[in-house]
Amino acid sequence: MKRVQLEIVLGTILVLLSVAIVIVLGIREPQRLAQYELQQRAELIEFGASVFTLNCTRCHGSQAQGIAGVAPSLRDEHFFTQRLQEVGWQGSLEDYIVSVVTTGRQVSTRPQLYAGSTGQPPVMPTWSEKFGGPLRDDQIRAVAAFVMNFAPYALGELPTSIPLGPLADESTPEGRGQVVFASTTAGCTACHTISGISTGNIGPALDGLADRAGTTVEGLSAEEYIRQSILEPSAHVVAGYADGIMPQNFGEKLTEEQINDLVAFLLTLE
Amino acid sequence: MINSLMKRLNIPPRNQWRSAISKVIDDRVRIITAGLSIRELRAVMRGDPPTEKPNPRYKVITTSFIAHLRPRYYPKAATWFTHTFRLGFFTTFFFVVEVITGVILMVYYIPFPDQAYGSILEIESNVFFGELLRDLHRLGAEAMVIFSWLHLLRTYFTGSYKGPRTFTWLTGVLLLLITAWLSFTGYLLPWDQLAYWAVTVGTSITESGPVVGPALNLLMRGAPDIGTGGLLRFYLQHVILFPLIAILFISIHYYKVSREHSISLPAVVEETELEPEKKKEANRRIDLIPDLLSHELFLISLGIFIMLVILYFRWFASPLETHANPQQTPLDTKAPWYFWWLQGMLKIDPAAIIESLVNPIFATFGLEYRLELSLLLNSKFIMGLILPPTLVLILMAIPYIDRNPSRLARKRPFAIIWGIAWIFIFITLSFMGTPQYGIETPAATRIVQDLAPEEGEGPLRSIPYAELYNRQAEYIVGQDYGTDLCPGLSYLPDPEHAPEDIVIGCPQLTAVFAEFSQRLLEAEAEGRLPNLNAKLTVEQFQADLVRVTPHVEWTDPETEKKQIYEHTFFLHEDRAQGE
Repeated sequence: MKRVQLEIVLGTILVLLSVAIVIVLGIREPQRLAQYELQQRAELIEFGASVFTLNCTRCHGSQAQGIAGVAPSLRDEHFFTQRLQEVGWQGSLEDYIVSVVTTGRQVSTRPQLYAGSTGQPPVMPTWSEKFGGPLRDDQIRAVAAFVMNFAPYALGELPTSIPLGPLADESTPEGRGQVVFASTTAGCTACHTISGISTGNIGPALDGLADRAGTTVEGLSAEEYIRQSILEPSAHVVAGYADGIMPQNFGEKLTEEQINDLVAFLLTLE
Repeated sequence: MINSLMKRLNIPPRNQWRSAISKVIDDRVRIITAGLSIRELRAVMRGDPPTEKPNPRYKVITTSFIAHLRPRYYPKAATWFTHTFRLGFFTTFFFVVEVITGVILMVYYIPFPDQAYGSILEIESNVFFGELLRDLHRLGAEAMVIFSWLHLLRTYFTGSYKGPRTFTWLTGVLLLLITAWLSFTGYLLPWDQLAYWAVTVGTSITESGPVVGPALNLLMRGAPDIGTGGLLRFYLQHVILFPLIAILFISIHYYKVSREHSISLPAVVEETELEPEKKKEANRRIDLIPDLLSHELFLISLGIFIMLVILYFRWFASPLETHANPQQTPLDTKAPWYFWWLQGMLKIDPAAIIESLVNPIFATFGLEYRLELSLLLNSKFIMGLILPPTLVLILMAIPYIDRNPSRLARKRPFAIIWGIAWIFIFITLSFMGTPQYGIETPAATRIVQDLAPEEGEGPLRSIPYAELYNRQAEYIVGQDYGTDLCPGLSYLPDPEHAPEDIVIGCPQLTAVFAEFSQRLLEAEAEGRLPNLNAKLTVEQFQADLVRVTPHVEWTDPETEKKQIYEHTFFLHEDRAQGE
C-alpha cells in the first residue's frame, strides 16, 4: 500500500473512531447533565450552609430553628406551608427567601412575636451587595437552596431533630441543659458563643465559664454566680458589656428544672 | 423530428451520451478543484503519478486561493518526522480547535461578573456537549502553549533560526507571546477564585512600573479592582483583538515558511557530504498534492482522536473553582503553570541577595556601613517588569546574536549548552513558582487546608457520605479510638456494587482523623502548637447534609495567648466525588 493510501485509510479509521466516541458521549450526555445538575444543587446547598452559618445564625439560630423574640424558625411547618399566604407572596418559597434576604425587612410583619416596628432599626438588614449588604446574588441563592433543604423536617417527612452540638445526651442534667441552651425558648445562642454550639457575640462568650465563675463575684460559688446571672442579669454585668441587654424574665420563661439543667450544663464549660 | 429537435438543442446522438455527460461533470470538477480532472482526483487519492502534462496538481496551487498559501513541495528531508515532530503543524491545529470551540462557547458565555460564573455552570449542566466543548477548548489551549514552546525549542536546537529564517523566528517569538496572552486572558473568563486571583496577581506586576505603571494597571483592570470593566476588557482581548493579531502573525510566519524559504533542511543534509544517492533522496520533492495534504489530513484526524480519547477517559477536565470572591484571598494563589517561572522569579529579591553578599564583607573589614538596596531596588519592578521583557528581547534577538554560520549541533556546542541550561533554569523557576515553595502558612491552617483545601476535594471531602451519615460524634486528638472510628458500621460503596464489596467500618474517616491527629501531634512535638487541644466533630445538619468541623486550640509560643482555628465543612449526600 502506498503511503498516501495508508494515510487515507488510517485517517478514515481515526475519524470513524472519533465519531464513535462522540456518539457514545452523546448517548451518555443527558445522564451526565442530570448528574451534574444534581451535584451542582448539592454543592449549592453546602455553600449555602456555610454562608448561613457565617451570617444568619446570630438571629435565626445555629440550626435555623429561630430565636424567640428575635427571628422566626426557618425550618418549621408554618414557614414552609403558611408563610407565603400570610404575606401574600405569589411566587415560590425559594424566590420569597431570595427576595427577603436581598432587600431585608424594614418593619416586622409579626410585631407581637418579633421585635421591630416603624422608626426602629430594620428587623432584618438588607443582605444584597446591590443594596449595601455583604452578600452576592449567588450567595443569596445558595442560602435559599440551603433553607429549602429543611423541607423534609418541616413537612414532617422526617422527625424534626435539631442536633444541638455534638453529643447532647439527654439522660443527664448536663445534656438536657445543653438542649435548653440551644432551645428557642431560652434563645441563649443568639448572644453567647460556645465553640461548636453557638456563635452569638452580643453577650460574653461562655467558653471556660466554669473556670472563672467561682471567682467573678466574691462570696458566690460558680453555681450561685451562674444561677444569679441567668435570673438577675443586672446583678453583675461583665466589664465591656452594657446592662439591660439580657432579658430579665428567664425565671418566668424557664422552669425550675430547666434552669437547674442549664446551670449544670454551663458548669461543664471548662 | 426527434433528431432535428436533438440537433437544435445541441444534444449529441445516443451513443455519445456517456462521454458527453462525463465531460460535463469533468468540467465542473475542474472548476471546483481549480484544475484537477476526475481521473486526476482518483490518481491523487491512490497516490499515483499525475495523469496529464504539465502536472495539473501544480496548477491548483496557482489558481486556488487556499492552495496558493501552501508550498508546492517540501524537500523530503525537511519532512522527516524526527526533524520537525510536526510541532508547528499541531500548534496551528490547536489554534483552529480553539477558534471553532471558542465561537460555540461564545454563544453561551456572558462576560459580566454577575452572570459569568453562572453561565459556565450553565454550559456544564445545561448545554448538550457543553462540558465536552469547554474541555476541548481548555485542553486545546494548554496543548497550544505546550506545542508552541516545543516548536521553539526544536527550532532552536536544529539551528533553524539562522540565515533566511531570522525574521520568521522573530514572528515566532511574537506568536509565543500572543499564545500566552490569549491563554491568560481566557483564564479570567470563568470568574472563579482561580481566575480572579491569578489575574489580580498577574496584573499587579504592572503596578510597580515607573510613571505609567499604575495607569497601565488601571487600563488593564478597568478599575482599581477587576470588575465589570476588567472582565469585559479581558473578554474582548480574548475573543477579538488577540485572535486577529494571532491570525495576522500566523499568516506572516507561515507564508514565510511555505512560499519563501521552506522548512529548514536537517543540518546533516545541508552541511555534510552525503552519498549522492542519499543526497538525491533527501532532496526529492514531496508534493503538496497528494503527499503533504494526505499527511496533514491524517495528522488532523489523529489530533482530534487523541483529544477525544483524553476527554473520554477523563484524563483532563477543565478546572472550575468557587465563585470569585474579591474579599477572600485564597491561601494558595496559583498562576497558570506556564507562568510559574514568572511567579518564581517574583519570589526572588535581588536587593536582599546583593545585600547578603556584600554586607558580610563590610562586617569583616569592621565597617559600620551596611548596604540597603531594598529602598532603591523594588524587587517586583525588577523581577516582574525589567527582567521578563529583557529575556523576551534576548530570545527574539538570538538569530542576530548567534553569528555562528553552522547549524550542526557539534559545531555549536555553546548554543546547545546555553539552550539546555535555560530549560533547567525555567524548570527551577517554575518549581519556585509553585505555591508550596517559600511560603509559610501557620501550622494549624496548613494541616486543615491540606485535609480540605479551599478549592478541589482533598481527603476530608472525599470521605463517603455513608461513613458520616448520622455519626454525631466528636473525636479528640490524642485519644485512642482503636483501629476504626465506627465499629458496627458497614455499607455498600454504591448501589451497583456486588455485596462482597461491602465496606466494614469507616476506613476513610479513620484515615483522615489519623492524618489530622498525626500531623497535629508532630507539630506539637516540634513546638509549633504547644498545649494542643484538638478535635474533629461530625454532625448531621440536615437530612442529607453533614457538618464536619476540625477544631484546633493551642497557645501561641510568642504571645502566650490561646489561639483557636476552626473551620466548618458541609458535605451533601449528592456531592460529586472522586473527580
